[in-house]
Amino acid sequence: MADATTGTHTERGRGPREAVQGASLTTIAWQQFKKHPMARVALVILGILYFLAAFADFFAPYPEHDINPNATFEPPTAVHFLDAQGHLSWPYIYGQKKSIDMQTFESVWTVDTTHAYKLRFFVHRSGVRDRYVPFPVNVIPVQLRHVLGIRPWASLHLFGVADAAGQAKIHLLGTDDLGADVFGKLMFGARISLTVGILASIVAIAIGMLMGGIAGFYGGWIDELILRFVEALSAIPDLFLLLTLSAIFYPLHLPSTTQFMVIIVALSVIGWGTTARAVRGQVLSLRERDFTVAAQALGASNTRVITRHLLPQTLSFVIVSLSIQIPGYTLAESVLSFFGLGVQPPSTSWGLMLSTAQSFAGVTGLTDRWWIFTPGVAIFVAVLTWNLLGDGLRDAFDPKSRR
Amino acid sequence: MIFYVVRRIFNLVPTFIIATFLAWGIIQAAPGDFASQFAFDQVDPGKAERIRALLGLDNPWYLRYFYWLRNVFLHFDLGTSMTSKASVTALILPLMRNSMVLLLPATALAFAIAIPIGVYSALNKYSLADRVLTIFSLLGLAVPNFFLALILLAFAVQWFHAYHWFLLPTGGMTSSHFSSFSSWHQIIDVGWHLIGPVIVVTLSSLAFVSRVMRGEMLEVLSQDYIRTARSKGLSERAVNVKHGLRNAILVIVAIIGSTLPGLVSGAGSVEYVTGWPGITPLFIKSIFAQDVYVVMALLTILTLLLMLGNLISDLALALIDPRIRY
Repeated sequence: MADATTGTHTERGRGPREAVQGASLTTIAWQQFKKHPMARVALVILGILYFLAAFADFFAPYPEHDINPNATFEPPTAVHFLDAQGHLSWPYIYGQKKSIDMQTFESVWTVDTTHAYKLRFFVHRSGVRDRYVPFPVNVIPVQLRHVLGIRPWASLHLFGVADAAGQAKIHLLGTDDLGADVFGKLMFGARISLTVGILASIVAIAIGMLMGGIAGFYGGWIDELILRFVEALSAIPDLFLLLTLSAIFYPLHLPSTTQFMVIIVALSVIGWGTTARAVRGQVLSLRERDFTVAAQALGASNTRVITRHLLPQTLSFVIVSLSIQIPGYTLAESVLSFFGLGVQPPSTSWGLMLSTAQSFAGVTGLTDRWWIFTPGVAIFVAVLTWNLLGDGLRDAFDPKSRR
Repeated sequence: MIFYVVRRIFNLVPTFIIATFLAWGIIQAAPGDFASQFAFDQVDPGKAERIRALLGLDNPWYLRYFYWLRNVFLHFDLGTSMTSKASVTALILPLMRNSMVLLLPATALAFAIAIPIGVYSALNKYSLADRVLTIFSLLGLAVPNFFLALILLAFAVQWFHAYHWFLLPTGGMTSSHFSSFSSWHQIIDVGWHLIGPVIVVTLSSLAFVSRVMRGEMLEVLSQDYIRTARSKGLSERAVNVKHGLRNAILVIVAIIGSTLPGLVSGAGSVEYVTGWPGITPLFIKSIFAQDVYVVMALLTILTLLLMLGNLISDLALALIDPRIRY
């Protein structure tokens, strides 16, 4: 009744002849989403981050597992735009030399200004180790690629320095304890850190919807069983359950792809309960609605009623909870890898990179090797933007939270 | 009321048993066990098997769960640590105390600061201060607290390098020569070590609690009875405090029980980074060593804590909220 009154009211406002435009869910959602400037900014930033992660091989100046034991903790390379006379010049860098301070026995890096190295764009590197499999082919598992016989490779990098002897290297964010380029590693790490959240929340919500749907639809002892299980699972504190779950696979020394899936499964095992509860509640109320009863009266099977009539009704809910859960999982993965139970070397993620910072932070302080803390900033930006985007999506899809 | 309490407590028993059984199953699912590390002992090839028999690890895992459960319920015995050979209870209790020393002030501080912030933000909705606070809480929600702890640690080291005295300690809970201090000095020393970790844990929960409080306060203030209170001529203060705050605060009571484990987890990574001798460092160590009784004991205690926290929250809510019938 209330809807009808407001409907006529707006019609009157528009004038007598103008028809009311019907708007689909996505249209309304997009209109609402556009009202959130922060969410749009977040969407753009996230787009850039995912783009960098996807084409990390191209944007990083050096290959993924490139390490150099002689160049550990090399400070960031400064890119110069002005030559000695103060005139604008083509960007160039100087090499850095390591020496040992004989009093503290710490390695000291000094800039070697004798030779300037010109920065080059779109560099091809000829070495076999410099070849990489470009996105999106690298998403296909290696074994499958071999079976299918797809072996494309590329050797193009966005930037680099020209040097035959390989003396000067460009490290925009310095190197870590293994001498790997932190700037490149951040982007390679993003591949895991940024996808774990999405995949884990998709799996968690899928399990949650299935279990919640079953519990709510069938009721009775099945409902009781699932609810009890969810309750027991949620009674164990998340972080500790997550650590215990990951510890199952720790002694197996799994290959990195499998380990990645293990993390996703572990995260979704922790998270499906909340979704299951919420979906159960929704299904319980939807089950009694006329359209469900009608479908059943027309002879629709239970599976059809669940998949075609009940679950689509929860679509908005799914989108909203997806975007809300992603930052949480991103954080959880970083904690897990930080503790050494998540991503294992030689794979890398932002959390794992920070565990290096953990081993050296107590010695060097903030300013000496500040660049090893940058993965923390990356996590911060990713979680912040996902949160903002989540807020925007929630307002877009959930009529109750609109202001 | 008493009947309600008893019923709620009885309700917890099956949850507790399923949860611990689940935890036990997950722990046991890991390949190998504590004795595996001796499997390739050149001098004594039978060592692994003997240790396994000695520790009872050769029994099936579900059977060992029932032994464990029996010992817990009948003797309050959580087992013996395999690495340190000490009773798990004796091992855990001092660490639990240390964790609480960090957790309780941080929780109290977080709620004490977050509630006024949330209320203020709600009362001055979309004002400059509200916007600034909202931005800060968004930022606060996005910082991983182990990263914050790392920064703090590095800052402490940095300060020492620059001025050659410690503004904040570089980790741990006590200074060296702690045992030779007088008791007052000991308390001050622990308090000094507490500053950094408490700041990090407080900051990380501050954002969440203040956002919840703001949202709930706004929700309450938009209710009809607030309009009624205003229209009958009550002062703004009376409306906000007596009708607004007293209803909005219920949500804090409701979440305080369930935020506790989150705080334990959050404090966990801070403990790990700053070397605070709490339960999380022990948990990590035991997980890597497959010291199952320690892992199990910690999981059990934390589960119990979470369930009790929720129970107390519910009971407190039932007590102060007359709308809840039991």
